[in-house]
Amino acid sequence: MEHQIIPYCDLYAAYLRDESRTVGTADSISFPRSEEEVRQILRMLHETGTSVTVQGGRTGLAAAAVPRGGHIMATGGMDHVLGLRQENGRFFLTVQPGVVLLNLRKMIAKKEFPTAGWSSESLTALEAFRTASAHFFPTDPTETTAAIGGMAACNASGARSFRYGPMRPHITALRCVLADGRTVALKRGQHFADGLSFSLPTLEGGAVEGTLPDYTMPRTKNASGYYAAPDMDLIDLFIGSDGTLGVLTELELELLPLPRICWGVTVFLPDEEAACRYAEAVRAQVDCAAAIEYFNSGALDILRQRKAQGGVFATLPDLTMAGDGAAVFTELHCHTREQAMSAVKTLGTLAVQCGGAAEKSWVARTETESETLRHFRHAVPESVNSLIDERKRVYPGITKMGSDMSVPNGRLLEVTEMYRRTLGEEGFQYASWGHIGDNHIHVNILPRDMDEHTRAKQLFLRWAGTVTEMGGAVSAEHGVGKLKAPFLTIMYGQAHIRQMRQLKRLFDPKMQLGRGNLFAVEDEA
Amino acid sequence: MALVIDTSLCVGCGACVGGCPNGALELVNGCAAVNEDACVLCGVCVQNCPVGAIDIRRETASPDNTAQHRDVWVFAQRSEGLAEVSLELTGLARRLADSKGQSVTALLGGGTQDEADVLIAAGADRVILGVQPALQNQLEAPYTDWICRLAAQYKPEILLFGATAFGRSLAPCVAARLGTGLTADCSVLDIDPDTGLLRQTRPAFGGNLMATIVTPHHRPQMATVRPGVMPLPVPDAARRGEIITDSEAVAAGLVELLEEVRSGGGSALQKAEIIVSVGRGIGQRKNMKLAEELAAKLGGVMGVSRPLVEMGWATQDRQIGQTGTAVAPRLLIACGISGAIQHLAGIAGAETVIAVNTDPNAPIFGAADYKVVADAADTLRALIDALA
Amino acid sequence: MRTIVCVKQVPASNEVRLDEKTNTIIRDGGEAVINPFDSHALEAALALKEQFGGTVAVLSMGIPAAADMLRQCVARGADEALLLTDRAFAGADTLATSYALSKGIESLGDFDLLLCGKMAVDGDTAQIGPELATRLGLPHVSDVFSLECDGAAVTVQRTLGGCVQTLRLPLPAVLTVTRELNVPRLPSIAGVLRAEEAEISCRSAAQVGADETQCGLKGSPTQVVATFLPQRTRTVQEVTDTATLPAIIHHIIKGGA
Repeated sequence: MEHQIIPYCDLYAAYLRDESRTVGTADSISFPRSEEEVRQILRMLHETGTSVTVQGGRTGLAAAAVPRGGHIMATGGMDHVLGLRQENGRFFLTVQPGVVLLNLRKMIAKKEFPTAGWSSESLTALEAFRTASAHFFPTDPTETTAAIGGMAACNASGARSFRYGPMRPHITALRCVLADGRTVALKRGQHFADGLSFSLPTLEGGAVEGTLPDYTMPRTKNASGYYAAPDMDLIDLFIGSDGTLGVLTELELELLPLPRICWGVTVFLPDEEAACRYAEAVRAQVDCAAAIEYFNSGALDILRQRKAQGGVFATLPDLTMAGDGAAVFTELHCHTREQAMSAVKTLGTLAVQCGGAAEKSWVARTETESETLRHFRHAVPESVNSLIDERKRVYPGITKMGSDMSVPNGRLLEVTEMYRRTLGEEGFQYASWGHIGDNHIHVNILPRDMDEHTRAKQLFLRWAGTVTEMGGAVSAEHGVGKLKAPFLTIMYGQAHIRQMRQLKRLFDPKMQLGRGNLFAVEDEA
Repeated sequence: MALVIDTSLCVGCGACVGGCPNGALELVNGCAAVNEDACVLCGVCVQNCPVGAIDIRRETASPDNTAQHRDVWVFAQRSEGLAEVSLELTGLARRLADSKGQSVTALLGGGTQDEADVLIAAGADRVILGVQPALQNQLEAPYTDWICRLAAQYKPEILLFGATAFGRSLAPCVAARLGTGLTADCSVLDIDPDTGLLRQTRPAFGGNLMATIVTPHHRPQMATVRPGVMPLPVPDAARRGEIITDSEAVAAGLVELLEEVRSGGGSALQKAEIIVSVGRGIGQRKNMKLAEELAAKLGGVMGVSRPLVEMGWATQDRQIGQTGTAVAPRLLIACGISGAIQHLAGIAGAETVIAVNTDPNAPIFGAADYKVVADAADTLRALIDALA
Repeated sequence: MRTIVCVKQVPASNEVRLDEKTNTIIRDGGEAVINPFDSHALEAALALKEQFGGTVAVLSMGIPAAADMLRQCVARGADEALLLTDRAFAGADTLATSYALSKGIESLGDFDLLLCGKMAVDGDTAQIGPELATRLGLPHVSDVFSLECDGAAVTVQRTLGGCVQTLRLPLPAVLTVTRELNVPRLPSIAGVLRAEEAEISCRSAAQVGADETQCGLKGSPTQVVATFLPQRTRTVQEVTDTATLPAIIHHIIKGGA
């Protein structure tokens, strides 16, 4: 099976980068189509101790899929849907890691799956699924071409994580091939740690045994480093492990019943502080909120400019009423129209209490209206990216500097005040948006030259310290990858990083997988 | 006036329920029943019922003097000379008139004797040439006035317009004034051998369904006809016909033409023999240049699907489809286009279609001669290399 | 400035399938929505109201459930809504529809501008606007993509074939509008709450003084005699080896096909 490992050539240049827009290097690449091929390739590479970077849809923002030499294992060809299971009226779909989110959604919505090779149990479950009410998979990262494997590896989130949590709770089983070719199969509720010590059997016999790190994870949305807690379900160790413990080859996802009513409400508020107060009030008082998202005045400004320039952004709704204020979007998932109307009313009252007005808002109730709001929300990161691309032409070293930090409830006003103050001191241009309901705002510094770029990096390191002091997470959803490895050290300290590295060595003794992810390369020696 | 279900015939199969666009039918005790609050009498269920249990009971208005009306008329639209669709219509009118033993009249406003001769060579027996200055511009009011006066005077049985922007706007003005029916965007027109009525077949529901329509009791029977669907007649210079010059005053109307500017867009696609078209499946914007490169290699033109225009990757004049340009190349290579029905309507005239898409179930394959299940960008690269 | 906007409720999707077992047509239209083009007409009316003051009335003919769509129009800023609903209207073609709407318009009183979408996406006829204008005896322009108003007249632009016309019409006038004209606004919370309480007038044919013989199926000169799925005219050949593609292309270009 020598041909499975292909020497790298320029044809594969696209595989050297991901959405973080950083570029790596590689010596070889493979495109396995089955778990067995993954196993064979890993065994071969294990002999030589070659480093392996696993890739999904390459839509990550933390460069976890960017190779640092060695081998690229691209899992895009593993895109089969393997089966459907029904248990107590709940449905569970088993997929290979290369299935793309967009396609997954289409299949679930249409209730049509490529069923070649499905067991009779799966086909029976599909019959039941077709007669059941509509279902959906809740995790909704912005980039819909993300692969399910990549989403599991970084414990991806999205706007709706406010209500449904990140990927983690929706993964009910997985299979993972370790660097030496052994395989672990985990089902949620089957393998637990005993305190911090654990023993995980492999399908080939024997077990991986050792001790978990003893840090306490922040009580916030978190995708920073290994999930570790006393008596934890060991399946959680692999979710969010950034491709450093093994190669995910199968994932079982729980599908949820689609709420009957799904409305969106955007409210314009005078400033960031008002937006924070509004978001906190919505969190406390609107129990059918599925997402609470923020857009600061800088983000709205950029949108306004892009709309005026025409093209695809010309169809954005008019933003005049926003003034120089900010916007907060709330998605409502309800069972009845009455419940939704009452929530809309509450949002109006809260907006007024926070200095807004019931007239200065958008309500999306039909598919067309929802699409308008989706277009608006997605246009924010897209327009910032295109702005950065323009600046890159003058200063090729410039990249988008986006933060991904979250803080516990009650610290939102404090952290946003800290962001504003320090950004002001540095004189940066910036746009912020994101998951204000989870106290998780992406601050995007838009460097105008290389000096600003360097200073932005330093500011993010300072923020990592402050956010850690507040009990927050340095990466709430993008994963740590390569770009945020220095933040992880600030968050957990050297001793805990050592424990993480020891944990990794139990599964990957030659430290082959995901070189540079979580741990800076120079630490690895 | 109602939907009538014959319960003695109904077998309770439910075919009418699933087909109803308005959800107006349900099965009650194993028999179809209609909810009159939702039914709009569209007639889909009448067609769908396998046992003929559903009917629409009509109390038709008393027939007017249909017998007085005869001959087939076409509106010969001009825009920088005679529009191609005018000749297509004349050829069609010739066939319809021949099957009824009638003659063909073309209405040519603001045209020339030479153009009238061209219409005669294309099949017209008579051309009414309107020389009024108000007919020099494409404005609905004077043309409505002109056509309605002539129709009242000569009583044509059939009156056809091209389904161009102007034709689609003018024809309903004429139909409303004459108080008759009008079928839009017909793609097939023929004469019912039993009734002698004009059968007008047109796409409905965005082209997903075809409907055949007749106008039994009102005259003229009016239709607009899609440009590019009917064949161009072979001109016969030996044909002779009558040219009537008409100069009787027409009401100019209240719409004032301030300016008319040629934009000329889209014509490159319309005339292209070879088109390489790309859709969202092209993946990245930079891959667009692959399509341009292949098109250039083949001596063709690049077209795009609507989403790429909406994403700002291409300009509107590149758009193929119902809302863009309808194309009729000899070869169309569709790359990464899934094939929304509006797009398929725009490529119906293509002679040969090669479709490339990663989704083996993409609707585009239903309109293709060659099906290639592959990545669009990869295939384009391979073709560029192979055709080097 | 008083503007009347004609709106139609249409199925969200035009999807049609054939049940191969029973050879019957299956439609899954999904939810009923406002015809997208009519949304742009409403937006134009609301923008004029912002510019000149006045009122916007929305008018529809349809089944009773279409009142929800009119309520959505009120949420976006329409002041008044009228639904013509009656069994007598069922089965109307464009001539009968334009008759019923013209009676509804008469009952709404004087107006300055009547706006319609360029066409309805379920019928694609684009006839209602011009037919209404003719029935009302008013000047009209179809497919307008740019609109300016000075209070007494409108200046509009439309594309006809290869040229763009700029036209001026005195008010009152009738226009049909394209999607390029504007970006429809979303309703506000205040609008949504106001619309919940708003009255949607529902009137029968008799209530608007319509002659029933000119309405619905009875008043429709055209009759649908058959509906069927479009025939697929092509037989598709799968190319599994893409290396053979260049040869196929050469063959077609040389005139083989």
